[in-house]
Amino acid sequence: MTPPLAGTRVIDLTMVWAGPFGTRGLGDFGAEVIKVESPTQWDMLRSLGLIPREIDHWYDMSAYFNHNNRNKYGLALDLRQPEGRDVLLKLAAVSDVIIENYRSDVMENLGLGYEELKAVNPRIVYVSMPGHGKTGPEAQYIAYGSNVEQLAGLVSVSGYEGGEPLKTGFSYGDPMAGTALIGAVAMALRHRNRTGEGSYVELAQRENLGMFVGEFVVDYSMNGELRQPIGNRHPHVAPHNRYPSGGDDRWVVLACEDDAQFAGLCNAMQRPDLLSDPRFTTNALRKANEEELDAIIAEWTTARGHYEAMHVLQRFGVAAGAVLTTPEVMSDPQLRSRGAWVSHTHPYAGTWEVEAPVWKLPRTPSHVRMPAPAFGQHNSYVLRDLLGLDEGAIASLYATGVTSDIPDTSLHQ
Amino acid sequence: MSQPLSGLRVLEIGTFVSAPFCGKLFAGYGAEVIKVEPPGGDIARHHGPFRHGKPDPETSALFLYLNTGKKSVELDLRTPAGLDAFLQLAATADVVIDNFRPSDMRALGLTYERLREVNPRLTLVSITAFGQDGPYADYRANNLVAFAMGGQMFITGTVEDGPVKNGGYQADYQGGLNAFSAASVAILAAERDGIGQHVDISVQQCMAPILEAAIPYYSYMGQWLGLRRGNHMASYIGIYPCIDGHVGVHVMARNWDPFLDCIERPDLRDDPRFVTQVERTLNNDDLLAELYGWAATVKKREIYERAGRMRAPIAFVHTMADIIESPQLNARGFLQRIDHPVAGEAVYVGPPWWMGPDAWSAGRAPLLGEHTDAVLRDLAGLSDADMRRLRGAEVTA
Repeated sequence: MTPPLAGTRVIDLTMVWAGPFGTRGLGDFGAEVIKVESPTQWDMLRSLGLIPREIDHWYDMSAYFNHNNRNKYGLALDLRQPEGRDVLLKLAAVSDVIIENYRSDVMENLGLGYEELKAVNPRIVYVSMPGHGKTGPEAQYIAYGSNVEQLAGLVSVSGYEGGEPLKTGFSYGDPMAGTALIGAVAMALRHRNRTGEGSYVELAQRENLGMFVGEFVVDYSMNGELRQPIGNRHPHVAPHNRYPSGGDDRWVVLACEDDAQFAGLCNAMQRPDLLSDPRFTTNALRKANEEELDAIIAEWTTARGHYEAMHVLQRFGVAAGAVLTTPEVMSDPQLRSRGAWVSHTHPYAGTWEVEAPVWKLPRTPSHVRMPAPAFGQHNSYVLRDLLGLDEGAIASLYATGVTSDIPDTSLHQ
Repeated sequence: MSQPLSGLRVLEIGTFVSAPFCGKLFAGYGAEVIKVEPPGGDIARHHGPFRHGKPDPETSALFLYLNTGKKSVELDLRTPAGLDAFLQLAATADVVIDNFRPSDMRALGLTYERLREVNPRLTLVSITAFGQDGPYADYRANNLVAFAMGGQMFITGTVEDGPVKNGGYQADYQGGLNAFSAASVAILAAERDGIGQHVDISVQQCMAPILEAAIPYYSYMGQWLGLRRGNHMASYIGIYPCIDGHVGVHVMARNWDPFLDCIERPDLRDDPRFVTQVERTLNNDDLLAELYGWAATVKKREIYERAGRMRAPIAFVHTMADIIESPQLNARGFLQRIDHPVAGEAVYVGPPWWMGPDAWSAGRAPLLGEHTDAVLRDLAGLSDADMRRLRGAEVTA
């Protein structure tokens, strides 16, 4: 079956995580994604992973880069040189979408803003993914991964009960912006299908992540109260927590949202006496006495493995799960059964397991069909086959350093 | 420009957070979203926080936020008449969003096969913790369980205090956003081919691959440290208490000079412990102590604006008060005051992304059953007799 985005050509100027994660998704569903990297300022993910610099093609071996850039073509192009800009405009004329995540003034300074692109292709969908947005008093401020969640409001409501505000375990705003990007592009393509019009899409990463705590904003505006972090507990439901299980640093979570689930928990723990215990007969009482209840539950969970506790509790109808580590996530029977990890071969990096596309669209499935591009791997495909440049013109781009087959590695030794 | 999702009709039969967030995005960008609520309403109506702390199904902040711009139909899908009415609506719709377990959907008689019979163009978007198949497909889950099983909890918090979830309902929101983007892609295919499909979103599967570099490092290099790093990925990437709140620094190698200028510590530039990023990492605790000392002397908004001017990567932890007062978010129109007949006026964030000024229109959340009559008569084509039958069976209020 024809993939949903077949016939869609995407110019991908993004680097590091948020942008490449999203454009990878477009490639997974059939778009032809062309990743553009400057010969001097290429995607820094290529430099990560403790790769010895004396190895040939070391910059094509980063697992982090290769995970996030499968299903893409690679073009080396220096946009700061007029000839590089010309090539990009030619490419834009035969493309459908262009995506960038530079600081908010960079594209305009390169003479590659929406108006310039629209002039060569009125139907183009142009997406910018700046941290703060293109406008406003903070537009030019730097916002890296961990800053986005601070600005979005999430950090202020995260943390242990009675503790400091707490960061997430990763640069959470990045993959959320990438995930949103796919929806935004699909929506803009639908609009173009219906009207023939291109569009300009602006995805400010702090705003996108701000959507994930919107109920706190409504609450504060109505009640004027700042809610403090409550750890793994829930404002209304008890029990609702993370408990120690057998093994070093292993944990299980569970929650009972109604009386039936609480009865299931008591029966699973072989403690039917708790059902008539006056401290626990209603959810409100369980919430009021949750410290005591948590201690009773912890005694039971500590004597079991986290998976064992989960399976037992689930058999009794209780929402429960093991707190999975990274190795456990990769071996988890459910994710294995879903085909979440697939073996992948890259000509320079070898064979290892990567995540399959995570959404299942059975009639129009996604595929891992191409490994991440080696640096400049598809220069010839783009310059000669797509744009029809002759050998002389291409040789001149190489001679002036506008394109290259080999990146300048001086910044990453 | 017209709204990008105009002309689409979406039925939402999910509850609480994930499916409603997906439906909210559809509604905001112009789709007609009909929320089919069980008798008594979506459970989010019964969760606080409520206006002035007083429980009322029309004043839950969680419900108000997640259901902007939708119509509400109160309908009991567990009765034959209720199910019939729903299937008649489904025959006119483009998308159905649900977040029930597969076994619960089967019990309702709402399998994809049944929906396809009444409408082959329909895209069914199912959001579940574990997906439509596999050994845990019918396991019970909520935000806490999905957060644990998706691997994000283990890496959050400190080694000493144990794994902790992020604030609010982050696993549920991830499910809702993934479902929206996946559905948007599926709609392109449905509008092209005239045939729908069953989009299967497993929240666990969406969450597991995005643990920053943890999967590639473990899978490719066999490296896994098993750490939780609390508020500091390193001394130069972390959160520090300041006079009136918390500041966050995220200093890459190339930001070191402007950072030192901004914090007025030029002496550290010549300090042999901190010359390169590698040395800063090796002397992490020394730099941590310096930055704790510095942060304790600054005010959050003053240092943020100074850093912005000087191109130093320093932000601050925005409380909800800071969000509402933010000069940036206000200048951009990201904070909208929306009125509601029972809850009154409140501030709503949105949109998640812009496509010109008119692409997004939030609207207010519906009252329970506010559109039952109009939707069932006008869209499902129910007659007076049908409506009496529904009411008689107490299927709808």
